[in-house]
Amino acid sequence: MDRHNILPDNPVEKGRGYMPAVSVNPSRVLFTAGLTGRNPDGALVTGGMAAQTRRAFERLQAILTHAGASFGDVVKQQLYVTDLDAYSTSGRAVRSAFFGAARPASTGLVVRRLADPAMLIEVELVADLGGSPQGRPLLEKYNAENHPGDFYQGSIVNGGRLLYIAGQVANNPDGSVAGVGDWRRQAEKVYDNIGHVLRAAGATPAQAVKETTWVLSIESWRQHGPAVRRAFYQGDFPASTLVEIPGLVRPEFLVEIEVIAAVA
Amino acid sequence: MPYSTITPAEAKPVANYKMATRMEGGRLLYISGQVAWDDNGHFVGTGDIGAQARQVFQNLRRVLQAAGGDLTSLLKITTYITKIEDFPAVAEVRSSVFQGELPASTLIVVQGLFHPDFLIEVEGVAAIG
Repeated sequence: MDRHNILPDNPVEKGRGYMPAVSVNPSRVLFTAGLTGRNPDGALVTGGMAAQTRRAFERLQAILTHAGASFGDVVKQQLYVTDLDAYSTSGRAVRSAFFGAARPASTGLVVRRLADPAMLIEVELVADLGGSPQGRPLLEKYNAENHPGDFYQGSIVNGGRLLYIAGQVANNPDGSVAGVGDWRRQAEKVYDNIGHVLRAAGATPAQAVKETTWVLSIESWRQHGPAVRRAFYQGDFPASTLVEIPGLVRPEFLVEIEVIAAVA
Repeated sequence: MPYSTITPAEAKPVANYKMATRMEGGRLLYISGQVAWDDNGHFVGTGDIGAQARQVFQNLRRVLQAAGGDLTSLLKITTYITKIEDFPAVAEVRSSVFQGELPASTLIVVQGLFHPDFLIEVEGVAAIG
């Protein structure tokens, strides 16, 4: 494992449970989907933030274990919470116990809503698996447990050739917005744009390894977005996260989607 | 530079950033969301988005330098703000910091950040080569 924990000469992050940055010599990299406090039957665990945090991290642990990794291999953590006070008082300590002395880079966000209105926390990870990709394109998607969702829980790729796509919105090449007020049209335009970028990079939708979907309304997205998304990926979904937030860069935009893809 | 830029003919960015970047070697660096703490651990610019943005991008630059890179190493940044009204001030600071085209970029207005005083947080991923 060739990991550098980046700590500038700056005391402020000390004791905060994460590193300002982490670099790795990327060979095999794991992206997880956003994981929540759901049980295998899809229902949320009872018991509020502490229980949801524990369940989310247990599921992440299973995904890491499947890949032969542990929390010490995590490079980046992304936390989405809907109740910061609850996280501070009863979630943070649960999270810390899973990481022990390990310190990933981290970003924490308070969002308006997650997939289920009762969901309080969702967590996604990037981990360095080490080992050798042996020059071959590497793309392995898997589930550590059965679930009904249109996503894989983990994607393992050759980390040296990743494609990072800017968040895509429903903009036309002339700068105008496609589908003002129209969720279906915006979903189509966003995936059109993602498709153009992937093609320009010599990749296909199946090579998407991680997707983050930011929407102004999960309820509206659910009526129009998933059909467009299924047509785009044709069953070969990335690890993914869906989050509701109050705004995007222009008031007309209803959805923004970011994709990381593996390129050969 | 250990990455290449993808510029599709059929789709354009909405501002001065790259549509996508492809890593071509080097070390992969993940940077935590940076907030407006100064070197002494004091929070800078309470209620002042311009001051916070300047501190945040200075911190981002320092982390990159500590990792052996600089702003040109960035593959992608994500800027989180809590009010869309703050975006023009953020864009002004960001343009002066990058002095040209940004890397691949995403802007999201979130409900909040991890302290009520935080108005902006910026994270990045970079190729250090």
